[in-house]
Amino acid sequence: MAENDISIIHPRPSSIVAALYTLRDLNVDVAILHGPPGCSFKHARLLEEDGIHVVTTALDENGFIFGGREELSTMLVKVNEMFNPKLIGVVGTCVSMIIGEELSEPVKDANLDVPVIGVEVHAGFPNNTKGVLIALESACEAGVITDEELERQKVLLTEATNVEKRHGAASKEYLVPSRGDLKYKVAEKVINYLKEGKKCLTIMNAKKETGYMFADITVAINEVAAQLGVADNVINMANVDDTLGLPRVRQHATYIMNDFREKGIVIHEIIGGMDEYPIAGELVSKLIAEKYSDFDFAVITGVPHAIPMDNLQNMDVISVTNGPRQVFPLKDMGHSNVIVEIDLHPKTLGVNNIVESEFGATIREVVKDMQNAEEA
Amino acid sequence: MMEQKRIAIYGKGGIGKSSTASNVAAACADEGYKVMIIGCDPKSDSSITLLGGKRIPTILDLLRQKIDVKEEDIVYEGYKGVKCVEVGGPEPGIGCAGRGIIVAIQKLRQMCKSIDDMDLIIYDVPGDIVCGGFVAPIRKGLVNEAYILTSGEYMPLYAANNICKGLAKIDTPLSGIICNSRSVTREEEIVRKFSEEIGSKLMAFIPKEQIVQDCERDGFSVLEKAPDSPVAGVYRELAHAIMSNDSSVLPSSLEDERLRELTR
Repeated sequence: MAENDISIIHPRPSSIVAALYTLRDLNVDVAILHGPPGCSFKHARLLEEDGIHVVTTALDENGFIFGGREELSTMLVKVNEMFNPKLIGVVGTCVSMIIGEELSEPVKDANLDVPVIGVEVHAGFPNNTKGVLIALESACEAGVITDEELERQKVLLTEATNVEKRHGAASKEYLVPSRGDLKYKVAEKVINYLKEGKKCLTIMNAKKETGYMFADITVAINEVAAQLGVADNVINMANVDDTLGLPRVRQHATYIMNDFREKGIVIHEIIGGMDEYPIAGELVSKLIAEKYSDFDFAVITGVPHAIPMDNLQNMDVISVTNGPRQVFPLKDMGHSNVIVEIDLHPKTLGVNNIVESEFGATIREVVKDMQNAEEA
Repeated sequence: MMEQKRIAIYGKGGIGKSSTASNVAAACADEGYKVMIIGCDPKSDSSITLLGGKRIPTILDLLRQKIDVKEEDIVYEGYKGVKCVEVGGPEPGIGCAGRGIIVAIQKLRQMCKSIDDMDLIIYDVPGDIVCGGFVAPIRKGLVNEAYILTSGEYMPLYAANNICKGLAKIDTPLSGIICNSRSVTREEEIVRKFSEEIGSKLMAFIPKEQIVQDCERDGFSVLEKAPDSPVAGVYRELAHAIMSNDSSVLPSSLEDERLRELTR
């Protein structure tokens, strides 16, 4: 191993799971995990909440020895009958890939009229984005996405990996998980800033479906600013361009934008698509320099560590993440407060409306308490 | 331009696949063909007689050292420009050789640009088809013809018969049987009969000659060290038969009892 390489010792997201999520974004109806029954259980179940069926060929010791060609082709026939899918994905696992299982042969055996994306992936990659990449390459081979989209995704994936290595979960050998700062304390601070007439930037830079919850923080801050009569002091940025990305990702952007509109929230700056969180930072930085350099504080949600600090030096930066291991790297970057939305992901799968966040709810409650106290 | 031939040679361990493969490679190079030999045996002795007895670093050696492998690190030119690649393997008793082949083959495919310019590529596959890894060259679309090397003895024929089952299982046609003689009784007749009964044909009968061993011990192919020997002529004929062969069949396999009968 090269000397400069950090060997990260805490468990990391797996490439198999990353491939599953990518298949979901490609709108497969069924994903078959070809391997042991317990592989990727937690995410497989979670993804079922998101409207896709995840099943397993459940290879056992015999399967590891004798292979699972028949198990897979039988499963393909079975899911075709059960779910009548329009698009199927098959995902390799560590076991099936190590023993040299071939995914295209069972697909041929099953002889279905449905396109099948076979993803030969295991979890032995240092970067889980490799799973996304293999899934997208397989999808491109199957004619499900264009070469152009594949190229675009490759750029995003490389940058996503860089972001994690610079300031994210891959930046240190071991990162201590943390719940971050107390939400009511930070809520108080935000409300007081608004009361004092300070100018606020909300920057939502969310990864795909996590946006359903991070958007609520934008909403909460705008609601409170309106109540306090300082709505004009808030500028909103969000990566909700719905013309970019895989089918399901574009749809998230549309749904979130619809909700913003319905709630009367103006997004002043659209900073990219919902898969562009690794690269949106540059545009944010440029916009701040050009238009918002005199702002007092910023609330960054989603993937805050992808936003460069260069032009945020003069602001108080508050960030909201869903990764407990992200707290200390963000503090290291200079964020004065870091908040963690625990269990965000399970709550944002399978929804198509903005979901209430703990921090958003806290802001709403704290402002009520403060007003009651003043009236009393 | 002729279509590229990409062949794999299967057969029981120790039956002489590597020496046959390297002599065929040398004979084809003599004819002016552009040849590459890819040795998949951990001993890495497919190419050693084409390189004057020199061992080359294997793909897996380099991967183990986490070296960012480039084409020039793994492809070496030997006798008359034959390009030599060795896959290598883990230490005996540690890790998984089958997985090693899968990974090395993927690496080779990414790295090796010159593979497209070849007239003939020979995969010298280890032993029997024992697991998914050993058929990786075929499954990854890198091989379009398979040959089986055997002698007239019972065990090599048993292995050959098993390999036929394997090839049928993965839908890969067999292009012929090569007999590497161990000087047993009625050997040519037995192997010819076996070839016919599985639906294939006998490509060549290579007699057992001391000169093959002698050249190998010196680190050379027969074609290089003893080009005028009769066995060199046999290898030339085999090379010609392979290069002009355009027929292959999905092999059937024999019942155990029939196999015994044949060799009795």
